[in-house]
Amino acid sequence: MENFIKKITKDVDLSFAILLSFCVYVFFAINIEVFFSHNISFAILERFAVLGLVGLALTICIIAGEIDLSIGSNAALCAVIVVKLTDPLGAPLAMLIGLSVSTLIGVTQGFVIAFIRIRAIVITVGTLMLLRGVALLIAEEKTVMLTDFRVPDFITTKVLMYFSPASLTVIFIFICVGIFMRYTKYGREIYAIGGARKEALTAGIPLRRPMIIAFALSGFCAGFAGTVIGLKSGTAQGLGLQYLLLAGTVAAFVGGVSILGGKGGVLGAAIGALTVNFLNTGLVFYALQVHFVQLFTSVLLVIVIVFQTMSRVFDSRQARKSLLATIDERKTSLLEKKRSALGK
Amino acid sequence: MSAIIENNQLPFSAKFLQFYKDRTLLAILLSLFAVMFIYGIFFTENYLTITNFKAIIRDAALYGIMAIGLTFVTLSGNFFLLSLKETASICGVTFAMGMATGFGSPDLAGNFLVSLLAALAVGVVSGVIQGYFVGMGGNPIVVTLGGAGILYGIGAWWSDNLVINFTRPHDAEWLGTGSFLGLPSITWSFILIAIAAEIVLRHTNFGRKVYLVGANKAAGKATGHENFSMAIIVFTICSVCCAFVAVAFVAQMDSAQSNYFSAEFGSSGDMTILVIATVMVGGNSIMGGYGSTLRTSLGAIFIAMVDNMMVLQGFNSGPRIVGVGLMIVFSIIVFGLFAKGSRAQE
Repeated sequence: MENFIKKITKDVDLSFAILLSFCVYVFFAINIEVFFSHNISFAILERFAVLGLVGLALTICIIAGEIDLSIGSNAALCAVIVVKLTDPLGAPLAMLIGLSVSTLIGVTQGFVIAFIRIRAIVITVGTLMLLRGVALLIAEEKTVMLTDFRVPDFITTKVLMYFSPASLTVIFIFICVGIFMRYTKYGREIYAIGGARKEALTAGIPLRRPMIIAFALSGFCAGFAGTVIGLKSGTAQGLGLQYLLLAGTVAAFVGGVSILGGKGGVLGAAIGALTVNFLNTGLVFYALQVHFVQLFTSVLLVIVIVFQTMSRVFDSRQARKSLLATIDERKTSLLEKKRSALGK
Repeated sequence: MSAIIENNQLPFSAKFLQFYKDRTLLAILLSLFAVMFIYGIFFTENYLTITNFKAIIRDAALYGIMAIGLTFVTLSGNFFLLSLKETASICGVTFAMGMATGFGSPDLAGNFLVSLLAALAVGVVSGVIQGYFVGMGGNPIVVTLGGAGILYGIGAWWSDNLVINFTRPHDAEWLGTGSFLGLPSITWSFILIAIAAEIVLRHTNFGRKVYLVGANKAAGKATGHENFSMAIIVFTICSVCCAFVAVAFVAQMDSAQSNYFSAEFGSSGDMTILVIATVMVGGNSIMGGYGSTLRTSLGAIFIAMVDNMMVLQGFNSGPRIVGVGLMIVFSIIVFGLFAKGSRAQE
């Protein structure tokens, strides 16, 4: 426990994330009577199932020093595939196919990025449009719907008061990915190519393996989020789910990742996603229009960016100051030595 | 020196080949152009008509102008803005507000100049603020993603998410639906802006600075051209281009809404992504320092041409978006492979 507290206080961004999420939660808990109740907690965890996954996907990519913009399209494609195939094949098989398609897309992206050595934003802007078009093609420009809306009931049944099978699975994924990133060689490679790519490559880490793993994980998470959304609502659109990119980015950045890569973790992603969830769920009670939700989410993002940039500038200034101070010290000590030598 | 003399002594055909060898991407783009053009002539009805070509250039003009603005940002090494369509939408709303209500004072209602200046001012403000954050060291993608949400939210809040109409005989008709010498005004603006941008980039101090900062940020900083002021200027240029497109589009539609430029705009999905696609298909290096607005204009016309052909062939929006997406991915991969080992690597 002591270790844990020490770790959190040492990591400025993580403690800022916890503080921010606490502030948002307390604000809504004070202003809205029912916010602090079992049902709302269940609702928050249900949303967490979707947003947490997208936040996790982006967190992994940003840790690897890249950003995956195609996440919304990937989720939409997976949702369309799953909803379309649930009728003829049944939900489990459809989910399997959808998830393997989005994981495969992630693998391909990671391979292309590592092979050509371009930045991920460049290629993922292209795949954003391509995957959207493919999703539209598969859906035949219509909204795909389930014929039997009772089929996906199994993912929304309440378990243990707060959880549903969807949110339990997502928490399980979080734990697995957290262990993978922290305690395996492959996870640490992702941190290495994000934090200091040149050094990592010189030290003999292949670029291809961690990049493919990172993007495969991100594709899998995006696909899973799409699956959950698609099955829950029973419908899917080719042009939908583009808002996931903003929400996921906010979650990842609130969680303390740095755009320079190599920083952040799964715990931060979970806290970030919860913060965004608190905000979204709280705003529901004010019966605001959709654009206000977007506005407030973006304001949250800007607050976090400003904080991060300020702390980075402050750090570099501090480092410069301490460097100058040491130089001064050395100079004075040298002068004194000279003086004493002359005095003698 | 000797290389120059040797080059002068080469026969014309060899020089021609050398020219194309240096500009592989341009060559690929031009040959794709030719292939598409010939395919269009032989397999598409009503393709080779003047009306159709006017339509192509008019389509290209709308996102071409925005793409020329974005080219400055890309060339200076600041990647791209994800807030293009939101900037355009809030400027469009401002313009329509000015035309419809005159911002509260009935005297100014329908005053074209005031509305235009207000819309451009909104563009300048949003560009300066985003550029400031980027110049301070923020990542352009993340900053503009946040900026997009805020701009859209403010625009929708201000207009109450309603369609703002203004009646037809208005001062902005010459820009929206008018034409000059047989070409629509927006096409003329596209041509003029393209020429102006090319001159600014090639023959002024500022243009060379853009290339310098984009090609090598460290060298730029060492020689006193910091990215801070550069980011603010290029973001402002881009936002003003967005504002101009929004004004022209709103003047054509006689109305504005906060999601006019969103998902279903035109044919190929998202306006922002379409503009970024234009810059990339033109073969500009997204890492900065390499490319030109001429390439961007060609990219815009190319995308418009392919899109137009697919419309004439009777494709739905799905295949068309796939087509544009494939073009982007293809051009990125080709560019990446050609630039491997030099520019694309940091």
